[in-house]
Amino acid sequence: MIQLEKISKWYNTNGARNFVLKDIHLDIEEGAFLSIMGPSGSGKSTLLNIIGMLDTSDEGNYRFFGESVFDLKEKKRTELYKKNIGYIFQAYHLIDELTVYENIETPLLYQDVKGSERKAMVADMLDRFNMVGKKDLFPSQLSGGQQQLVGIARALIAKPKLLLADEPTGNLNSKQGEEIMELFKKINTEDKITIIQVTHSEKNAAYGDRIIDLLDGRIQQNIQ
Amino acid sequence: MIRNYIVVAWRNIRKHLFHALLNITGLSFGLGFTLLIAAFVWSEYTVNSDIKNLSNQYIVQSNWKNPDMGLELTTIGPLVKELKIQYPSLVKNYYRWDGVTSNVSSGNKVFREGLQIGDSSFLFMYGFTLVYGNLHTALSEPFSVVISEEKAMKYFGRTNVVGEMLTIESFSNSKHGFVVTGILKNRESNSITKLNRENDNQIFIPASSATYFSRSLDSWNNPYIVGMLELQNGVKPSDLTRPMQLLLDKNAPPDIAKNMQPYLVPLKNYYLQQNNGLAGKMIITVSCIAFFILLMAMINFINISIGKASSRIKEIGVRKVMGGMRKQIIFQFLTEYVLLALLATIFSFVIFISARSYISDVLGRNIPMLSAFPAYYFIFPLLLAVLTGILSGIYPAFALSGIRTTDSVKGKLQSVQANVHLRRVLAGLQFFTATVVLAGALIISKQVALFFSKDLGYDKDYVVSVQLPRDWSDAGIRRMESYRDEFSRMTQVKAASLNWTVPDGIGDGSTMLFTDGQEQTQAAPYESVIADKNYLAVFNIPLKAGRNFDHHSDSNSVLINEHAVQSLGLTSNEAAIGKRLYYEPGSALTVIGVIGDFHFGSMKETIKPMVLSNVHLDKIYRLMCFKLRPGNIAASMQAIEKKWNTLMPGSSFEYLFMDESLQRLYKTEIQLKKASQVATILALVIVVLGIIGLVSLSIQKRMKEIGIRKILGASVTHIAFLFLKDFLPAVLISVVMAIPVSWYLMHQWLNSYAYRVSITATPFMVTIFALGLLTVMLILLQVVSNTLRNPVTDLKSE
Ligand SMILES: Nc1ncnc2c1ncn2[C@@H]1O[C@H](COP(=O)(O)OP(=O)(O)OP(=O)(O)O)[C@@H](O)[C@H]1O
Ligand SMILES: [Mg+2]
Repeated sequence: MIQLEKISKWYNTNGARNFVLKDIHLDIEEGAFLSIMGPSGSGKSTLLNIIGMLDTSDEGNYRFFGESVFDLKEKKRTELYKKNIGYIFQAYHLIDELTVYENIETPLLYQDVKGSERKAMVADMLDRFNMVGKKDLFPSQLSGGQQQLVGIARALIAKPKLLLADEPTGNLNSKQGEEIMELFKKINTEDKITIIQVTHSEKNAAYGDRIIDLLDGRIQQNIQ
Repeated sequence: MIRNYIVVAWRNIRKHLFHALLNITGLSFGLGFTLLIAAFVWSEYTVNSDIKNLSNQYIVQSNWKNPDMGLELTTIGPLVKELKIQYPSLVKNYYRWDGVTSNVSSGNKVFREGLQIGDSSFLFMYGFTLVYGNLHTALSEPFSVVISEEKAMKYFGRTNVVGEMLTIESFSNSKHGFVVTGILKNRESNSITKLNRENDNQIFIPASSATYFSRSLDSWNNPYIVGMLELQNGVKPSDLTRPMQLLLDKNAPPDIAKNMQPYLVPLKNYYLQQNNGLAGKMIITVSCIAFFILLMAMINFINISIGKASSRIKEIGVRKVMGGMRKQIIFQFLTEYVLLALLATIFSFVIFISARSYISDVLGRNIPMLSAFPAYYFIFPLLLAVLTGILSGIYPAFALSGIRTTDSVKGKLQSVQANVHLRRVLAGLQFFTATVVLAGALIISKQVALFFSKDLGYDKDYVVSVQLPRDWSDAGIRRMESYRDEFSRMTQVKAASLNWTVPDGIGDGSTMLFTDGQEQTQAAPYESVIADKNYLAVFNIPLKAGRNFDHHSDSNSVLINEHAVQSLGLTSNEAAIGKRLYYEPGSALTVIGVIGDFHFGSMKETIKPMVLSNVHLDKIYRLMCFKLRPGNIAASMQAIEKKWNTLMPGSSFEYLFMDESLQRLYKTEIQLKKASQVATILALVIVVLGIIGLVSLSIQKRMKEIGIRKILGASVTHIAFLFLKDFLPAVLISVVMAIPVSWYLMHQWLNSYAYRVSITATPFMVTIFALGLLTVMLILLQVVSNTLRNPVTDLKSE
């Protein structure tokens, strides 16, 4: 599904190249559950953003379902991204002015899903995440855990094939974190959704079936 | 999707209500004012537009080789008539009229009215309608009269008055009844019934009654008849040049035929072109003012929008992550701004409705109600709103949607740093405009004050003029003089004078005079004032040499002003005494005195040589002028009216204070002054809204910084200084940059006045100081009210 070849990214500081990622090779099969670990500043988020097509690398090749991502026009890339990728953030990043319902609905609006179909899909999500009663609340009226659930529901609503999560439990307590991880496991096994998550927690990383360890922009360890 | 945008937009407006209101208020003021001005311009453009067959309608104007021989406005009565008779293939119809003023009465109601004595073609040629009466016969009989609805109400209190009588005085003091045969429907202003400001005639008398007023429309000697033509289809005005000249050569006295060049002006553009395009110039001026006010309002809108937009960066990032295309994000922002602008448009209609009568007053023109506009006109304000929305949205939409998604999600702003400069420039532009408007308004006010100042050369205070009934016989003049002396003896009256005109620019034109040793061809024009010996006392005009009129034998004596002394080539006033002036060889006038120069007409023109002749010479008069003693003016006027009515029973008592006469003379300037004041107020309001918006946004963004600084021990003054340092230089730079522009514009405007105030530093200093102080105060106010809170809350709120 995902093939990264010789991916490098750097910033120029004082004329010197400062590598954030260096020669990353990575193959990810469809259906995988990958955890990325590593110390702060090691380039985890950068790597995830590149995989998520939010960022580009300075060198190397990225194939997504065989398509060479960096060679695609923006429109094409957004299309590919919209259809296949769901994104979850550490800080939830819900839109404050939209209700729970509307937040979950937004990706469908961008994918031109018809009104009736949209309604059914959002209802299904709300039901699955046990949030029917909260659908008209605004993000500020929810707890952190609940907000992250909305974030996950929003990422899953468009039935992506790949779910990217950057420290999804970073702002939550361990109990809430565990629940999210269980949820991920379930999505991965039942719905066959590929998951890549960045985490600092060994325990959470263990939910994945594969762990890579980044250090100074290089893959240090690749545990299957 | 659009629904989603609107929902978000609406929630954003509610969430940031304060800024949304600032935004909407500023824009709706600007739009409202622009709409009012647009309505004014529209109504100015549509003067005459509902005249039938407009494209074939013309007014005949005259070019005179010697401008003192006749008026540009008028022509010779029989000329237009003969054109129709001799050239029916060119001319379809004609209408001529002569304007006179006389006393009109019904029962005990007596007023002086402008009468329009003219051809009966008037009623059907232009598509007028009568509310009552028969269009085709109303003016066919002598001693019939058609009046407007307004005059019907004035004299009879109702409009269904066909068959009623109006009594109209002739100039030989006789009275005759006129049967009302038609009531003219009130119409928007047009050049047929209202040729100009002095001729707003609403009483129409058939040409067959002209002789009753000792007038004739058919004399080739009288070049003071208004002539209008309706040409046949396809006939060009130039086709009439030769026929007109042929008719003149054949019929008119040779000196008229030689000197006069008649030409046609289409009624379509006549209104905007007349008086050197006065109406057109006013339109341009107020349109410019409106444009700049709107520009300021739009800048304000754009500025606050950009300021607010950066708080949306995160949302934009999230939307992109969820699959939003840049195009869609841009579209969302534009939708939002258009929505805001539409809200402002709705408010601007409210402003239109509530300010309409005030602005009508300022511009001296009735601005039509919203309902008077055809429905499709409302597309324009809507388009304007959409345009404003798009213009103001375009920068934030493109700039913010272009930020890299990864930065955007983190709420990183550094790539938007540039917009701080952009906003400063925009705010600077606002201050720039405000300076031009404010300094301009100050200078205009100063110039207008000059029109009413002591520099007039005479004393206008407590001077009032009253129209007299007309009897220009010798006996009539002597009777008026005895009345004048009776008025003079009243305790309320300091002096009374019998004369033709007050110094309001409406004289009896100029006279060509020459002196001993000159040929008649060397005659020079003199401004002519016809008055009695008390004129100098009433107006407090100084006598510089010689003596005033005194004896009855003074009827061939004249007074001249100092300019006349100069133009005669004399070195001293005394040298002028005894000089003789001639209208024509053999008719000598003797200069007995020299008076000080005073402004007879508008200060646009230089003071001209003037000759003040005796009412006994010309045997005409029009006004009785009084100089009142200070005190209870209303009581004095009552006393005079009472005396008036016992001396001249049945005549009207309509008076005008000199101040009002001057206000009429300087109507345009006063309009401009008021308009500039309204503009100043609007400009200041928008500037205030702008500063409040910018400063509060900046405070909001720097809340955390302020909090930290306070914890580190910074005082409120210190923090206020931070913001002053941020805003004040931009304000001052733009204000200073505006000064030369303002100076140049005002210099241009003042140049059209022969007498003008000099542009000093004061108005600019006042402007700089006022705007600077305003900025400082608004900043301090906001900083103080925002920083008095506990700093810890500010830190948390990040
Ligand atoms: N605009 C930039 N200019 C220079 N260096 C940058 C820039 N953005 C990121 N970096 C650097 O890239 C490196 C990787 O950042 P990244 O956010 O990927 O780290 P991370 O592994 O996700 O860390 P954390 O666990 O703290 O989130 C960091 O050392 C950071 O300093
Ligand atoms: Mg990170």
